[in-house]
Amino acid sequence: MAGVIKKVPIEVLLSLLKRLRILYTKILGSLQTMPQDAAYRKYTEQLITQRFNHVKSEHDVEKLEKKINCGQIEEVISQAEAELALSRKMTEWKPWEPLVEEAPANQWKWPI
Amino acid sequence: MAASLVRFVRNGFGRSLNATVRPKDPVTHTQLSEFGEYIAEILPKYVQQVQVTCFNELELMIHPEGIIPVLTFLKDHTNAQFHNMTDLTAVDVPTRQYRFEIVYNLLSLRYNSRIRVKTYTDELSPLDSSVPVHQAADWYEREIWDMFGVFFANHPDLRRILTDYGFEGHPFRKDFPLSGYVEVRYDDEVKRVVAEPVELAQEFRKFDLNSPWEAFPAYHKRKSLHSEFLFGLLLASEDWLLPQ
Repeated sequence: MAGVIKKVPIEVLLSLLKRLRILYTKILGSLQTMPQDAAYRKYTEQLITQRFNHVKSEHDVEKLEKKINCGQIEEVISQAEAELALSRKMTEWKPWEPLVEEAPANQWKWPI
Repeated sequence: MAASLVRFVRNGFGRSLNATVRPKDPVTHTQLSEFGEYIAEILPKYVQQVQVTCFNELELMIHPEGIIPVLTFLKDHTNAQFHNMTDLTAVDVPTRQYRFEIVYNLLSLRYNSRIRVKTYTDELSPLDSSVPVHQAADWYEREIWDMFGVFFANHPDLRRILTDYGFEGHPFRKDFPLSGYVEVRYDDEVKRVVAEPVELAQEFRKFDLNSPWEAFPAYHKRKSLHSEFLFGLLLASEDWLLPQ
């Protein structure tokens, strides 16, 4: 049985791509709630729109995986889910604000 | 003479003869420092300092309020994906205002890279537990609590892990002595193990292991000129320096 790769049925592949598209739309929607100049919004929008364009242009899953170059499509989906959860938490934490508090003078000095 | 010449030619004129010097890797260094700048740009609220050590290790110094946000960002963000927490320890530096430095080591299998996140606290301020982000932090935080006394808020089960059941004290602190305060022995009268104050057979000897040469000449901090002048005067006043 070595070397025999079972073909994934087409419905499963299409549903995976659909899930990816939904996730990317949700992430972009969640990023809209952040201020325009936030670095997180800027870089994540760039990254997600790039991946989204790949998904829209390429319908063959294997070629899409090579284009995105971040592992298998299921792994890309889990990365997108993590990014969505992160963007929702970022809207609460607002990490683009200036520094909360400076460290005391010698805190990070090494050797002492 | 001939043998050393042969070795010189074989090594090549470009390479240094000093084989114990670690070769520098500027490519990795620039990659890591750019990634560090990227993180500092995204999270300016918590990141106080970013540095890349001479061994090409990226270190991120953050404010203690930012433990959960920074660790979640490093775990979930697509460009980071540090899903593995390899280590969580504390360092005790008693001379600092916030004496404990908590160090998180993370690993990204996707991008084959490591990062170190450092925070600080003192004996009484609690830190947010990172167990909601990385389950691996569970026993590590118990160990830090047991050995240093750093309290973690929202930890599922913070109790002692390495010390004995009734043990008092936090052994890894720098002010805790090497032999400890209690020793145990079996007492035949009460037929159980009893804990008594420690009695050393020989008093503790502290050896001065400093080498006569300066350890870090690059980090030598010159004191003010005034004190150097006085020190020179003191040296000159020693009797054995004056000629007979």
